[in-house]
Amino acid sequence: MGCKRASAFRRARRVKDECTETRGFEPSAGCGRFSLDALELAALARHDPQVPVDASVLPHLKECARCQTAVDGFDRDNAFLGEFKGVLIAPTEPDARAVPDAESGPIRGYRLGRELHRGGQGAVYAAEQLATRRACAVKMLLGGRFASERQRVRFEREIEVVARMRHPSVVTLYESGLTREGEPWFAMELVEGARLDDFVRTNALHGRQVALLLQSVTDAIAYAHRRGVIHRDLKPGNILVDVDGTPRVLDFGLARLDDGSNPIAPGAGTTMAGEFLGTFAYAAPEQLSGDPNAIDTRCDLYALGVVFYECIVGRKPFEGARSIAELIAQKTTSIPQRPCALVPALDRDLEVIVMKLLSPEPARRYDTADALSEDLARFLDGRPILARDDSLSYVVRKTLRRHWIASSAAGALLATVLTASVALGFLYAHAERERVRSERTLSTLQNALGSANPETGAGSSSMRIDDFLTIVEQQVRAELVDEPYLLAGVLRTVGLIHLGFDDPNRAREAIEQAYRTQVEGVRLGSVLPQQLAETELALARVCFNTADFVSAERFYRSALVLREESLGRDDVDTVDTLRQLASVLRTTQRLDEAKACLDDALARSQSFPSTATAAITRVGILNGRATLAGARNDFAQARAQYAEALDALLKFVPEDDYRVGRTRYNLARAQVQLGDLDAARENARAAILVLRARKGDEASMTRQAVALMEEIEKLSATDDGR
Amino acid sequence: MDIDRTTTAMLTGLFDPTNAAAWELFDRRYRSILIGFGRNCGLRENDAAEVAQETIVRFVEEYRAGKYDRTRGRLGAWLVTIARFRMLDQHRRRGVARIERGESAMVDLDDERSVTAAYEAERRQGVLREAIEELRTRSKTDPKTIQAFEMLVYHGLSTQHVATELGMSAHDVYLAKSRIAAKLREIVQRIESEYEEAPGEWDASGHRPSAGLGA
Repeated sequence: MGCKRASAFRRARRVKDECTETRGFEPSAGCGRFSLDALELAALARHDPQVPVDASVLPHLKECARCQTAVDGFDRDNAFLGEFKGVLIAPTEPDARAVPDAESGPIRGYRLGRELHRGGQGAVYAAEQLATRRACAVKMLLGGRFASERQRVRFEREIEVVARMRHPSVVTLYESGLTREGEPWFAMELVEGARLDDFVRTNALHGRQVALLLQSVTDAIAYAHRRGVIHRDLKPGNILVDVDGTPRVLDFGLARLDDGSNPIAPGAGTTMAGEFLGTFAYAAPEQLSGDPNAIDTRCDLYALGVVFYECIVGRKPFEGARSIAELIAQKTTSIPQRPCALVPALDRDLEVIVMKLLSPEPARRYDTADALSEDLARFLDGRPILARDDSLSYVVRKTLRRHWIASSAAGALLATVLTASVALGFLYAHAERERVRSERTLSTLQNALGSANPETGAGSSSMRIDDFLTIVEQQVRAELVDEPYLLAGVLRTVGLIHLGFDDPNRAREAIEQAYRTQVEGVRLGSVLPQQLAETELALARVCFNTADFVSAERFYRSALVLREESLGRDDVDTVDTLRQLASVLRTTQRLDEAKACLDDALARSQSFPSTATAAITRVGILNGRATLAGARNDFAQARAQYAEALDALLKFVPEDDYRVGRTRYNLARAQVQLGDLDAARENARAAILVLRARKGDEASMTRQAVALMEEIEKLSATDDGR
Repeated sequence: MDIDRTTTAMLTGLFDPTNAAAWELFDRRYRSILIGFGRNCGLRENDAAEVAQETIVRFVEEYRAGKYDRTRGRLGAWLVTIARFRMLDQHRRRGVARIERGESAMVDLDDERSVTAAYEAERRQGVLREAIEELRTRSKTDPKTIQAFEMLVYHGLSTQHVATELGMSAHDVYLAKSRIAAKLREIVQRIESEYEEAPGEWDASGHRPSAGLGA
C-alpha cells in the first residue's frame, strides 16, 4: 500500500513537472489506503445514493483528513467541470445542444437525437429508449431549470393529459420522469408522418378524402372531450398523418383538463382571465376574448372548422389580417367566403358542415364532437346531414345586425375599410388594369360605408354612429394619407353618411376636403370628371340641407354640366341631377325655372332604359312635379302626382323604404290641404313608421311627419266639434 | 491579465468605429450569449440569431450615442433589456407571420426572474466556452490531457474507459482531470474579471434604454 502511494505521488510529481502552466497544482491522492476510483465514487455518492461505494470508505473518511481532502477535491472538481457539460464549442450550430451522449445525457435510459420541434412549451427530440431499443419522441420543458412556474405546471399537466389518452388517433405516452437535473420529461410514441395540411396538399386530396381524415381526428377529439380534455391548440401542425394514413393528434401542451370525473360541460373553465393560449389563426372567437368562462369543447370544434376549411380550400378562412385586433374583428363579425365559391366542385353538404363549425357563435356550432362525427359519417355514407344551412336571410340579417351594433360594429366595418384601403393603396400604384380593379374595390368600400346610411341602408339613427364614423374617418385619413384621390372618394361617402344622420357640419367638412382634392385631380388628369360631379352633388345636398341655396344651385349646375359632358344628356344620372336642380329652384321660389327643369327631365326620361334605377329616377321627377304643384297651391294636382309617384315607387321598393315614407308624408300634406283627413291620417301614420325606423325619432323629417299627424288630429277634432 | 480584453477596455474601444478588435471581442463575447438567451426564451435558432444581431447593433448605436451609463447598471442588464424589447418587437412583427404559418405565438417573457436567470446562465456559459477555447488553443496543456478531460466531461466516459482508450493509467486520468480543473478555474476566474459581471441577482428592468423601445 505504501509503495502504491509513493508511486502515485511520483507520477503526480512527473505530471506536475511536465505541465508548466499549472504552478501551485497539488493533487491530493488521500492517504493511499483507498484508490482514487474509490475516493471519487465516495464523492459522487454524496449527490447520488445509487452510486456504489466501498462500505469501508465512509467510516475512514471521518478519521482521515487527507482522504477527506481528496474527496472534497473530487467533489469540487466534479461540480466545476460539470458546468462544462452543457457548453457548446460551436454555440450557434443548430440543435447541437440536443444531442448529448446517452450515458451523460439528461435522461437516464434514453439516447436523445435531433430536435423535432420547439414550441411555446417544450422541445421535442427524437430519442431511443435504450432498454427496448425503441424509437420514441421525448419532450422536455423549454428553458429547463429557468422555466417559470406556470410553464412547469402546464408541462406537468400535459403529462397528465396524455397519460389519460388511449386512442388510435392520439399519440401514446410511454414513460415520464425527471431529468438528472430534476426537470420533468416524458417519452411518447414517435409518429413518422406528415403534417395534415402537407399530406392533403401532397396527395391532392379532395373533399371526401379530407372528410374521411377529419372524421378520425374528430373521433379522437370526441374521445378527449369525454375524458375532460379540451385540446385548445388544434392545427395542421399538431395533426400528423402516419405512414398508415392514420391522422394522429399530438401536443396537448395547452390542453385544459377538468379534474373532476365529469366530462367538460360547455362553460367550465380554469384559465386565468385575459390569458390567451393557442394559435390565433385557429382559435375560436371566444378563445380570443380572454374570458376563461367562454372556453369549452366548442373551441376545438371551431379549430377543426379552420383546419377543415384550409384543407379543402387551400387557404385559411380569414386571411389578410394585418394585426391581431383585425383578425379578432374578422373572426367575430365576418363570415368567411363560402368554400363552394372557391372550390365549385365541392359537395354542398361539406360546405354546410364546415360553415357550421366556423360559426362565430358557439351555440350555432355542433354541440359536441360526437355530433360532428355523426354528420361526417352521414356525409360519407351519402345520407342527409343533420346540420342545416344558414339561410341567406339569416346571414344578411346577422351581418347587418353586427354592423349596426355600435362599438363592435365599428370594428367590423373598420376592418373592411382598412383592408380595402390597403389593397387600394397598393393597386393604385400599379398598372392601368390594376387601377380599374382598384376602382372596383373602391366602389366596394364606398358601398360598405354607404350601407351605414339609413336613407338607403337598414340602419337607424339611434345607434352610436358618431363614434363609429369618427373612428372610420380617422383611420381612413391615416391609411390613405399617401392616396389623396382615394381618400377623397371615401371622405365623400363618409360625408354623406354624416348628412344622413343629420350632421351637416361634419358632412360639409369631409365633402369639401374631397372636393378640393378632386378639383385639383381633374386638372391634373388624375380624377375623372364624373367622380368630381358626384362630389359636387354631395356638396350641393349638404348646402341645400343647410339652406345655403346659392351654393347648392352652383354645385348642382356644375355637376349637371360635368355629367352631360361625360355621361350624356339623357343618361339617368344626368337627368336625376336636373331633377335635383329643380328642387333648389323651387325652394327659392323660382317656380317657372323649376317647372322648366322638371319638364325637361321628364322629356329626357322618355329615352330611359327599362331598369329599376331608371324607373325610380323617373318617380323622383314625378315627385318633384307634385311638390312643385303644391308650391303653386295646386293641391289637387299635387295629390294626384304624389299618388302616381307612390304607386310607381312601390313597384320597385318595399313599403319601409325611406323614399316611400317621404312620399307618403308629402301625399298626406296635400290631402290635408284638400281636407281629406282620413286618407291623410293613414299616409301620415305609415310615413311616421318608416321614417322612425329609417331616420330615428329626432330626424327633422320624422318630426315634421309627427307634427303633421298632430295637425291632422287637431283638424279632425275641430271637424268633429263642428 | 490582458488589459485589452477587459470589458472596460472593450467598451472604450467600441467608441472608435475603426477599432475592429474591440468590435470583434464584443461580438464574439456577447453574440453567442444573446443567441442562447433567445433560445432559452423560446425563440428558434434563426429568430434568436436575429434578435442577437439587432441587440448588438442597437447597443453599439446607443453606446456611441452616450446612452449607456455604466454607473447605472451592468452591461448585461443593459443588453438583456435591449434584447427583450427586440424580442417583443419581433413578436409583433412575427405575430402575423406566425398567424399565417399557424404556429403558436406564445413565449413567456413575463417572468423577470426567469429572464434574468436565463441570461446569467448564458453569460456563464459564454465564459466557460471562452475558457475551453483558451485551454485548447492558447495554453500549453498536453493535448492528451485535454483529450482525457473531454472524454470524461463531454462524453461521460468512465475513468477506466478513458485510461484504456488513451493508454494511460487510471491514476493519470484522475491527475489529468484534476490539472485541467485547476487550469480552467484559473482561466475562468480571469475571464470573469474581464467581464466584470459577477453572477447573482440584478434588475434587468431597472435601466431601460430609451432607443431600445423600438417601433
